[in-house]
Amino acid sequence: MSLILMRRRAVDAIAFLFASAATAFGLFWLFWILWTTFRQGLGALNVALFTQMTPPPGSGGGLLNAFYGSAVMILLAVVIGAPLGIAAGTYLAEHGRYSRLARTVSFLNDVLLSAPSIVIGLFVYEIVVRTSGHFSGYAGAVALAMILLPIIVRTSDEALRLVPDQMREAAFALGIPRWRVTAQILYKAALTAILTGVLLGVARIAGETAPLLFTALNNQFWSGSLSGPLANVPVVIFQYAMSPYDEWHALAWAGALVLTLFVLGLNLAVRMIARRTSK
Amino acid sequence: MTPFVPIARSRSAAADRVFNLVTAGAAWLVLILLGATAASMAWGGRLAFETFGLGFITSTDWDAVGGKFGALVPIYGTIVTSIIALVIAVPVSLGIALFLTDIAPRWIRGPIGIAVELLAAIPSIIYGMWGLFVFAPFMARHVDPWLNDTLGPLPVIGGIFTGPPIGIGMLTAGIVLGIMVIPFIAAVARDVFNAVPPPLKESAVALGSTRWEVLSRVTLPYARSAVIGAIFLGLGRALGETMAVTFVLGNAHDLSISLLMPSNSIAAAIANEFTEADAELYRSALVALAFLLFVVTFIVLSAAKLLLLRINRAHGRTH
Amino acid sequence: MIELIEPLTRSEQRTDAQVKIEVRDLDFFYGTTQALKNVSLSVPAHAVTAIIGPSGCGKSTLLRTLNRIYEIYPDQRADGEILIDGEDILDRRFPLSDLRRRVGMVFQKPTPFATSIRNNVAFALSYYERLSKAEMTDRVEDALRQAALWDEVKDKLGASALSLSGGQQQRLCIARTLAVKPDVILLDEPTSALDPISTARIEELIHELRERFTIVIVTHNMQQAARVSQRTAFFHLGELIELGDTAQIFTNPRVPRTQDYITGRYG
Repeated sequence: MSLILMRRRAVDAIAFLFASAATAFGLFWLFWILWTTFRQGLGALNVALFTQMTPPPGSGGGLLNAFYGSAVMILLAVVIGAPLGIAAGTYLAEHGRYSRLARTVSFLNDVLLSAPSIVIGLFVYEIVVRTSGHFSGYAGAVALAMILLPIIVRTSDEALRLVPDQMREAAFALGIPRWRVTAQILYKAALTAILTGVLLGVARIAGETAPLLFTALNNQFWSGSLSGPLANVPVVIFQYAMSPYDEWHALAWAGALVLTLFVLGLNLAVRMIARRTSK
Repeated sequence: MTPFVPIARSRSAAADRVFNLVTAGAAWLVLILLGATAASMAWGGRLAFETFGLGFITSTDWDAVGGKFGALVPIYGTIVTSIIALVIAVPVSLGIALFLTDIAPRWIRGPIGIAVELLAAIPSIIYGMWGLFVFAPFMARHVDPWLNDTLGPLPVIGGIFTGPPIGIGMLTAGIVLGIMVIPFIAAVARDVFNAVPPPLKESAVALGSTRWEVLSRVTLPYARSAVIGAIFLGLGRALGETMAVTFVLGNAHDLSISLLMPSNSIAAAIANEFTEADAELYRSALVALAFLLFVVTFIVLSAAKLLLLRINRAHGRTH
Repeated sequence: MIELIEPLTRSEQRTDAQVKIEVRDLDFFYGTTQALKNVSLSVPAHAVTAIIGPSGCGKSTLLRTLNRIYEIYPDQRADGEILIDGEDILDRRFPLSDLRRRVGMVFQKPTPFATSIRNNVAFALSYYERLSKAEMTDRVEDALRQAALWDEVKDKLGASALSLSGGQQQRLCIARTLAVKPDVILLDEPTSALDPISTARIEELIHELRERFTIVIVTHNMQQAARVSQRTAFFHLGELIELGDTAQIFTNPRVPRTQDYITGRYG
């Protein structure tokens, strides 16, 4: 074997080792973080978590009001953000090739998608909290909706683009008007992809803390009303983790575990749905 | 042939118009929101900009009582932690992307790809908590003292590695941030590597190239701007990240050269102090910080997108 | 030698047959590229006209002008006249949905909608006519029978259309088109994505349908054109090179270029 060939093979082997090491490195952190979350969180997991409210400093309790607040705000964010996102995604998919507006929106949408969520939170603070005079669950929902929107725009746009052009043409060739083609034929064909996009968006906003810091804030007590500060899981975790109290730390880990399981569960569910529909 | 009038012909023309208006309106909304956010941050920060002028960016003051604010410490912390994050994340991400596209046997690509995406899905607050309760103590016990002892005494750069072994500081925050950013860059890089037309790679293989040679001589040159775009994307995320760093950065207001010292980042400063800001000027200073962050991330993310679009165009997609 | 089936009988020859579609001086542009140059031809009623030619010659383009389907793409445009039953369909004032009902189109790749078999057929019909449930059921059965698909699906009308085989899906698309009772059926390489058995069934179907409809079929398969059509038009580089009875085109073409294509000099 020539020297050159040996050297090339050696370089290749080093690259192989490096890439494998990099992957192992990345996975190492994943396992360490998940392991920590499980170990700390499982210890604090009990029925009280789901039946009691967030406690005052120094005592145990639960996260019921936080779960409720998060669930309500996420739901409201989806109600606000999903239809708008699907509508905008529809516009981008149907006019994307010919409209400068569509190309600009598509570009800037992706910028908004990765924009710092704390800036979004501040923006919603300025226009909702300041004008209404108080923190509120509504403001929190609006902030989450604003984070959800670009995700759904992107996933709906891609979902509709995946529908073959010939299906569109077949529908038009039958004389069906444009809006019906989109609403009754294209949406049905792209339904699974659009739904998985919504689920992925939910997984993302469930874990968002920064935008809630100045909008929904937090509420130590049970609140059924959205027009005041509303307890929510991420901010509770934040406040409790930064505090000096052990009971609060335990609750923070429990909340972190539940949040992680929820988010990972949604992601895996999306994968399974995607695999089933692609046959 | 009977001339035939479909039932709702004129109605559907109107319906078409309404549908178009709704979808176009929603598309405009995305633009409006983006513009409104920028405008709102600029407006909220104007008091601070007017009061301090350009000195705002260069001043290290942060005195809530005396009403003097400067952005240098948060800006510095943001930049340093992001650089540390990229130093860690870029080689690792590219390595993972290479592993997933060319090196790993097919049966393992699926599970590992899923694992990488799960890493991306974990909310950043979890990273922050893990950083605070597990990683920072680890750094304090094992890494900081070692750095102090071995690199601390060195001339010139020694000062960078000297500091209290409390585990809270720019180095820890940068590492946590880097770990968080890895899956983002890896996912985009993997897509970019996969977008290289197989015939290009196959002809290189047919000529007897090793895997590394295919990567370095075919894939990377072809995808060069897109890979840079992926890195910019990671940078954009790192700059704006709040939760992964707030726990372990320390919220300090003094500028220090040492990586082991606590510092501040723009996002962390806002997260920590906004609800306590009681004076108009104080709030305005924080919003001004937000404006700066927004502008910088906008530029970085736009550059990323432009670079990534180039490979799409070359690849023939009609986007 | 190419087997010829169904040559025009004496009474169906050109001088006696009704002209259903007449194309006059048609130009077509994709953006700035001209794809059809000054095309003029006539399509007789109740017969199958085949359009053949090498890739990129404009045959699909021509087909797509006949129902103005190209209009969904803003950068495509057609100049000239296309008369169906004497009316110029390219005229801005000609109602598009009228046109689309009278002229149906079946595409190369079967594209059933993501709904049940019944709904696929009924969908466009419900847009055009207000029918009672019983009438709708009858029309659906009627269309499926005409497309020679009824026997295979009559027990599973509610099943998803995507569960059918490729050949069945294509016949479903034909049924879908037939349901609205068009006059003209345009077929754009309808069997190129199908296996030989499904292809043969669809060619049989075309043969049955030509008694009641005017059919224009684009095909890159010359043997198919010879088997199913009575008239053939040969296109090359956007121009109509020769138009004539199928028998004559394939046995005794007048233009050398036609001869070259038929004998396989170029594809």
